[in-house]
Amino acid sequence: MATTTFDTRSDSSAAGEERLSRPGWGVLLLGWVCVLFGLVLFGGGVYLIVLGGSWYYAIAGAGLIVTGILLNHGKVAALWIYLLIWAGTLVWSWWEVGADWWAQVPRMVAPTVILLLLLLCLPNIRRVQRRPL
Amino acid sequence: MTQLSSPNLSALALCAALAAAPGFAQETPVSPEQAPASPDAPVIAPDDTDDTEASNAAPPVAIAQTGADWPAWGGDEKAQRYSPLEQITPENVGSLERAWVFHTGDLPSGTASGKYSPENTPVKVGDDLLMCTAMNILISIDAKTGEENWRYNPEVPNEAIPYGATCRGVSVWTDPEKAEGDACATRVIEATLDARLIAVDTQTGEPCADFGDNGNVDLWEGIGDKVPGWYAVTAPPAIVRGVVITGAQVKDGQAEDAPSGVVRGYDARSGELAWAWDLAAPDEMRNGPPEGETYTRGTPNMWTTATGDEELGMVYLPLGNSSVDYYGSNRSEAENAYATSLVALDATTGEERWTFQTVRNDVWDYDLGSQASLLDYQGQKAILLASKQGDVYILNRETGEPITPVGEITDPPQGDIEPDFIADSQPVSEFFNIRKPDLTEKDMWGFTPIDQLFCRIRFRQARYDGYLTPPSTDWYIQYPGYNGGNDWGSVAIDPERGLMIMNYNDVPNYNRLVPRETADAQGWKPINETGNEGSGGAEGAGDPQVGAPYGIQVNAGWQSELTGMPCTRPPYGGITAVDLETGEQLWDTPIGTARRNGPFGIPSMLPLKIGTPNNGGSAITKSGLIFIGAATDNLFRAIDMTTGETLWSDVMDQGGQANPIIYEVDGEQYVLIGPGGHHFMHTPVGDAVIAYKLP
Repeated sequence: MATTTFDTRSDSSAAGEERLSRPGWGVLLLGWVCVLFGLVLFGGGVYLIVLGGSWYYAIAGAGLIVTGILLNHGKVAALWIYLLIWAGTLVWSWWEVGADWWAQVPRMVAPTVILLLLLLCLPNIRRVQRRPL
Repeated sequence: MTQLSSPNLSALALCAALAAAPGFAQETPVSPEQAPASPDAPVIAPDDTDDTEASNAAPPVAIAQTGADWPAWGGDEKAQRYSPLEQITPENVGSLERAWVFHTGDLPSGTASGKYSPENTPVKVGDDLLMCTAMNILISIDAKTGEENWRYNPEVPNEAIPYGATCRGVSVWTDPEKAEGDACATRVIEATLDARLIAVDTQTGEPCADFGDNGNVDLWEGIGDKVPGWYAVTAPPAIVRGVVITGAQVKDGQAEDAPSGVVRGYDARSGELAWAWDLAAPDEMRNGPPEGETYTRGTPNMWTTATGDEELGMVYLPLGNSSVDYYGSNRSEAENAYATSLVALDATTGEERWTFQTVRNDVWDYDLGSQASLLDYQGQKAILLASKQGDVYILNRETGEPITPVGEITDPPQGDIEPDFIADSQPVSEFFNIRKPDLTEKDMWGFTPIDQLFCRIRFRQARYDGYLTPPSTDWYIQYPGYNGGNDWGSVAIDPERGLMIMNYNDVPNYNRLVPRETADAQGWKPINETGNEGSGGAEGAGDPQVGAPYGIQVNAGWQSELTGMPCTRPPYGGITAVDLETGEQLWDTPIGTARRNGPFGIPSMLPLKIGTPNNGGSAITKSGLIFIGAATDNLFRAIDMTTGETLWSDVMDQGGQANPIIYEVDGEQYVLIGPGGHHFMHTPVGDAVIAYKLP
């Protein structure tokens, strides 16, 4: 895959900003955290399904893995995939426990923290050079 | 138990954690006479209706009532924890402040470290507060100033500590044949961890020379080999018609061949055995066992507090389960007939009057922990009993017949360990019970989806057929657990508003029967064998149950193996007001905030109400206030009885796992609590006794 550009000069639309060949370390860290947690949730979630329990964790885990991979490649799509997971989590969580706020803690707090971190990463990701996976 | 520390993934846990723990306990007392202190405290005219022949005991005496005094552990004989005082009201309670703080000086040392749960509640008689400490030091202090009058240290050794160093309270008896000023005319009586009954003069703290051996009676008599910590008393005795009545805590889960659960009455003046009630051999053992024998071993005991009834000459005993709690096929018919029952005895003869069983063939450790309360109900002399399963029964106390409806659960799960032993049906109160719906996977909790997922997996892995799921060699869920419902703190009753105030726990246990060979391999040994360090910890956590084919492993409060926090969602405890007429709840609210708990054990300081495990009861006033500590947040609070709203609270340095009292000196009303903390609740242990009054 491409390219050997060291120094991509900004074009007119991104005046003064450098293009990055890969995401910043913060984004990479978040990406790996997502992959790691995603694997745990997916593995445990599949086991829970086998035991007759909720499908949420396996699905959310898979989504988190994809999010993490996309992040590591500096893809803005990571955000869209994750927004989908987050919205799904919100719907599922409300369906399970409604307005029981203490019961919402394990369901919504950590996913929302990840969402905020993702949003913080957005400016960095947008500067990553587009390239094929 | 439950201590939350957080796994903390994605950080910023704004999550508060809770901590909590269940505890348990024992006993209650009843008491004595003493002139009624409050103007509206009527003196009940004693009648001698059932004085049978050989009553060597005193006739009924005028009964002291709450008012200026708090003459007995449960308030007064009725054990309603109700004060007719009205100076502190919902309107002015906000300005309540500390009047004084007294320190008993009894703090854990050496091997007692990590075993303190004093649970002490003083009585107030005349000018004095009389109390015992965790290690049974008797202390009298001035009720107005908190200055010490005297103390008597019975020198109880640390090795006598059973599950916890606890002395819930003392009882007071005035000798009708002595003149005021005579030695021991009024005496304070306690029972100790090393199983002695001790009587000292309330005026001087000197042991009563006429009581036993210089104020001491040895309760090991007739029990068998003396194994410190196996047989211990933590509850105040009941005193009825001059008879001091006590049971004892027999450390759970050790062996089928355990000390007897015998309940005994002693002459309050001489300390001589008046009678013994051995449920497996009541007639043979009435005057003690034959030479060289012991009371029937392994029988259900009464670790909690009995209620005395001076007028009827009866005593009401909330019994626990047999020593081996989680396996029943080896139990005798007598054990099965009496375990987990409220039993009424003639207080002067020890003869049985009636029994009321709350669990048949109990394999869940659903001991009756709550002291029963006396009340007038629908024109009958009644007694109210709350259970660990959260059922509330009201019975006619002359006959034991239920006044409120009792139903039957006719299809409880039978399990595969001992299906022939598991009862086919179980009683349930159709008047009121606090039990919540069965757990589902959705009830699993955590800080993050990961630890919540772990608990969901544990839920799905466990055997769980709802309420009364019997023991299994697979992990199984017991809900409510043995800390569920109402425990030794008992309930409060407002006879004028017709309300019952009950705080309760709502916590499951995660248990497993452990086959004998495995238990042996783990090194689980009973307390009477050396090298039993491998067992113990929380009640039921690695108990050998010698004699049964299984030991028991209890994860009390079902804490996540991953994080140490509870696997189920809050609230873990609440408080409710129930209309005694209808059995309907006026309000029901979680008790306890998240302030003391948080990720990594760091206090979150979040003042959010979450509902923590709680231990210890309430005291209530005619003016409509409920005073209660109990929760693991170390707050002592005043709650509006009509709304459930918290109107005032004070932050204490220790856990308020003790019952408060209410009294008056020189026209000023005081509220008092001795926050001793509780090892199992993970609340700080202390020796303070704190009195509050209006400025």
